[in-house]
Amino acid sequence: MTRATSPGPGLGQADFEKFREYFYKRTGIQFAGSKRYFVDKRIDACIRGAGFDSFLTWFAALRLSDQPDLLQDVINQLTINETYFLREDYQFDSMIKTVLPEVLAARGGAARIDGPVKILSLPCSTGEEPYSIALRLLEEWDQIDTVDVEIHGADIDSAVLDQARHGSYGERSLQRVPKRWVTKYFAPVGAGRFQLDAEIRDVVTLHQMNVCDTAAMRRFREFDVVFCRNVLIYFDELSSRRAAENLYGAMRPGGYLFLGHSESMSRISPIFTPTRLPEGIVYQRPNTGAK
Amino acid sequence: MGLVRRKPEPEAEHPKPSVEQLDDPDPEHRRQAALGLEGVAEAVPALLDRVAAEREPQVRDAMLTTLAAVDSPAVAEALAGHLASDDAALRTAVAEALATMPVSVPAIMPGLLTDPDHRVRVMTAMILADLPHPASLMWLSDMIRDDPHPNVVAAAIDALLPSAGPQHAELLRGAARRFPDDPFLRFTVDAALR
Repeated sequence: MTRATSPGPGLGQADFEKFREYFYKRTGIQFAGSKRYFVDKRIDACIRGAGFDSFLTWFAALRLSDQPDLLQDVINQLTINETYFLREDYQFDSMIKTVLPEVLAARGGAARIDGPVKILSLPCSTGEEPYSIALRLLEEWDQIDTVDVEIHGADIDSAVLDQARHGSYGERSLQRVPKRWVTKYFAPVGAGRFQLDAEIRDVVTLHQMNVCDTAAMRRFREFDVVFCRNVLIYFDELSSRRAAENLYGAMRPGGYLFLGHSESMSRISPIFTPTRLPEGIVYQRPNTGAK
Repeated sequence: MGLVRRKPEPEAEHPKPSVEQLDDPDPEHRRQAALGLEGVAEAVPALLDRVAAEREPQVRDAMLTTLAAVDSPAVAEALAGHLASDDAALRTAVAEALATMPVSVPAIMPGLLTDPDHRVRVMTAMILADLPHPASLMWLSDMIRDDPHPNVVAAAIDALLPSAGPQHAELLRGAARRFPDDPFLRFTVDAALR
């Protein structure tokens, strides 16, 4: 390996195609030709960051060497992580008003429920979504003192998980959070940033996970509610189908799946049952069939 | 009570799924086995054998997901054999799987487009509606222009519509002219041209 000089502006078309196929096989994520500029810039950053002098030497090391950091680095660069607290929060309304009461009823009621209610946020990016769920439950769910709730966040990108563990956010990320909640749950840490209370960070369990990896996804079981928003749109047909199968396996029969507002499971897989709630469509793992 | 952290538990052992598990009495075990056999070439014949026999739709869909990832002409050919099944759910599930196989399905497309069974050709239009292949629109246009059965032509028009443009208007009018006594087809074309 030599120190970086300049990898040059962008990739050749053949290199782009080779990389695109490799990345798809490893992650299930496929980039359209229209994303070429975005991909080029980030690969360039990976090549420079790892100290290689050309795409070819970097790509050879990525595929053939025992440096898993190279793959993780390019995954981190190419996955999109922009989010904020309480994004698309009509779905959190739905969770509190409709879904959780249904979950409790299906599991014998708040007084008799066996085990915690389990909620998964995937991808959780820098933590805004699972922490939003925690805040909404603490502030607004009248059963929170009666029932145990486990919240899990998962993402393919190890760097965003580190940021989620640190739980420090800027103004843009917190713009929708009521002032009272900011005062109650966050502490200023300088430079206009606020860190979420350690108590809340500690109750959200974070995992590194690729939703298309069937073997790894078998670790996730019995979730009552899953948020998987704005990620399936980045997958091709087959990968989104496999992701749907893996999410199905992670859920309790009767469990609820929230997708992003522009996503539809009906175009991906028939295994979930769409259910219309007052706040919008949610998908349920059927109670019958494979349990 | 309240928010709780997951208690640390030892990582459960998940043995590699085997072909034998495809016959497990528990459908969830069969489903997990079908998914877990992705990339296991020796499992392909067993999966193909069980696609039609499996009664649980979720298990069958998992089998089809794993088979679709193989995306070989032999698998495509074998799955296409179910497009003529009397089981409507099986036909639809297989068509959805074939639509995710852009590498191998084009090779069997000439046979599907000329299949003597018009129901197979209707399912072929469904496949082409979602098949990510540059020739999909051309094949659908061929069906609309040439297929002798009005139901096939109507299915092809439905499949073409999301991607249709002004350049397809004459093709659609031509289809309506070929079947002047078919009110459903005329309705489909009128709705498309509106």
